[in-house]
Amino acid sequence: MSHYETIVRELLYQLADDNFIHSYRGSEWLGLAPHIEEDVAFSSISQDTMGHASIYYQLLEKLLEVPVDEISHNRKPEEFRNAILLEEVNGPGDYLNSPKYDWAFTVVRHLFFNIFKDIRLQSLNQSSYEPLVHAARKIQTEQYYHLMHWKTWFYQLMSSTEEARSRMEQAIYRVWRDFGGVLTLGKYGGEMSDLKLIAPEAQLKEEWLNQIQQLFSEVDFTIKDDPGMEKGNGRNGEHTSDLVDALNVLSEVYISDEEAVGW
Amino acid sequence: MEVIHYRELTDEEKYEHFMERIENDEKIEAGDWMPDEYRKALIKLISSHGASEIMGALPEKEWVPKAPTIDRKLSIMAKVQDEMGHGQLLLRVAEDLLKPMGKNREDLLQDLFSKKLKFHNVFHMPSPTWADAAIIAWLVDGAAILTQTMLLKTSYGPYGRALKRICQEESFHAKHGESLVLALASGTEKQKQMLQESLNRWWEPLLMFFGPKSTKDIGHSSVDINMKYKIRFKTNEELRQEFLTKYVEKIQLLGLTIPDETICFDEEKQEWIYQQPDWKKFKQVVSGNGPRSDARISLRRDSYDESEWVREALSDYKNKNQSLVG
Amino acid sequence: MGKEQFYEEYEVFSRKKDGLSLEHRFSLLAPNREMAFVMARENFFRREPIKELWVVKRSDIRLMSQEEREGFKKLDNKAYRETKGYANLPKLWKYFEEKRETGGVNP
Repeated sequence: MSHYETIVRELLYQLADDNFIHSYRGSEWLGLAPHIEEDVAFSSISQDTMGHASIYYQLLEKLLEVPVDEISHNRKPEEFRNAILLEEVNGPGDYLNSPKYDWAFTVVRHLFFNIFKDIRLQSLNQSSYEPLVHAARKIQTEQYYHLMHWKTWFYQLMSSTEEARSRMEQAIYRVWRDFGGVLTLGKYGGEMSDLKLIAPEAQLKEEWLNQIQQLFSEVDFTIKDDPGMEKGNGRNGEHTSDLVDALNVLSEVYISDEEAVGW
Repeated sequence: MEVIHYRELTDEEKYEHFMERIENDEKIEAGDWMPDEYRKALIKLISSHGASEIMGALPEKEWVPKAPTIDRKLSIMAKVQDEMGHGQLLLRVAEDLLKPMGKNREDLLQDLFSKKLKFHNVFHMPSPTWADAAIIAWLVDGAAILTQTMLLKTSYGPYGRALKRICQEESFHAKHGESLVLALASGTEKQKQMLQESLNRWWEPLLMFFGPKSTKDIGHSSVDINMKYKIRFKTNEELRQEFLTKYVEKIQLLGLTIPDETICFDEEKQEWIYQQPDWKKFKQVVSGNGPRSDARISLRRDSYDESEWVREALSDYKNKNQSLVG
Repeated sequence: MGKEQFYEEYEVFSRKKDGLSLEHRFSLLAPNREMAFVMARENFFRREPIKELWVVKRSDIRLMSQEEREGFKKLDNKAYRETKGYANLPKLWKYFEEKRETGGVNP
């Protein structure tokens, strides 16, 4: 594999794993959302997002000559390149037993990530890696609805009861403490931008901060510090036990029968 | 035809006019006058149909994060999402019927939590393996398609319209289920065994799904009332026979064994002979005492309670918004 | 009480594609129209194409009573509003055409 391809692979892992783990967390909400109509809407977004992961995994499949499901369902946690924020559980409890899922955290994580995802896709539109340009253009078509959906939830919860405002602010602080892990491109970031695969990390971050400031000004909220990376850098293979647990669940059936050739 | 002035009619005349409409196969709409018996029968049928969809999402939901591949994760998510969507359609129909009684969705959900609102026996049962997701999608949905298709011509307009949407989506569920079952049936010994064990678990609940043959089995039945008002058109047994005709051969073709040695088609009587399920157990299960009833109801109730603040917040947001607009 | 405010009924209308009219699809419960709009798309159009989507609060709609539904009937004597009420025209044209052939009418 050429050096260029090695760097492409690193970036593809970030893009695929971000979307995969994020949609996995979304899928745990299915049937448990605050309102039946919202349950249906939210599930579409989780499906779209998993579809985006699948598009990126297919690019990896071509590059690595390893099947999509082997890449997505049978890698060690340290081989994942998603941001740690996206692997964090939705709340205490699991999806089968008394889940105490946090809707405020879900709204904030989804909106903030989707704003970044949008910026990243725009940059990928000019990537030197042609297959990525095509993938980005396809994925962008579904972003409009996702952003509209999460913005509606964000504005309304930020402008309603005191309790909701306080829960939302707590969620913003929590997401903020680790959003740096989403914004980073990891240890190969410099090479990614040198090879014109994606815009430099600093530029993506600046654009994201601009858009977030705009959003905050509309709901009368400010935050001074830069987003942190308290739990580590997932782009470099650092992860929490939340990812280990998630991978055990999501691959339970896939790895349960070594002889199985199909499911 | 002369114009009917409802205010001037006696209850008897209203009833007569109503039955005339039923006989003429007219569709009844939400705001129409209807006998209490009709409204109650509809509420009972449609709200428990809706609750069954919402609760029916849960056994398969258990397998959503665990589905073996990305494609399976996507299709089972879409399938469970549809169940929630069908719940939405049906609860809307039930809610409009309950409105004159001052009730709304909140009341329906509370009735579900307190076991007052019943749902199908099958959704009280455990789904311990991936093969259960396959059997549910293929056979439970297969059974549901037969019931729902029969209800399409129902005399209640809004129910018929909801069912039309539902039946369109059920054809996707059938394909999804078939695809899962075919993959396992043509897989390894371990996969085949998992499928067989799941069929063994689900066979009796599947026969129960259509309800007892006669009222003797559980002591009461709303089938007669529903037939009188053309809410439904077939008996439980007719539907069960249709199910057996449609699936027994297919199940055997896959190399699976139906856990009933007596099952056979009686050519003379032109009907299936089968081992009667335990109707006492059925009654117990649907009253909320099945193996997974409490766990699933708690899951639904806990998640509902956990997000109470969200519903309160949005009610408040709307109020603010309205006062701004004036 | 928040609950009733949250469960407000909205009617959903959509136009599938260019050249078609808006049609009623179904109803949903939502706390306000922005939420109703956002949820409507995926509740009713996750498989269908959609060109235009409207949500309307049901209480803003002037609905019909049963009496009105049954009272809105008409006699079948209004052929004059339709083309079928003018079936004799070709015969009249033919009359003039025949007349021209026999040189009866000047242009």
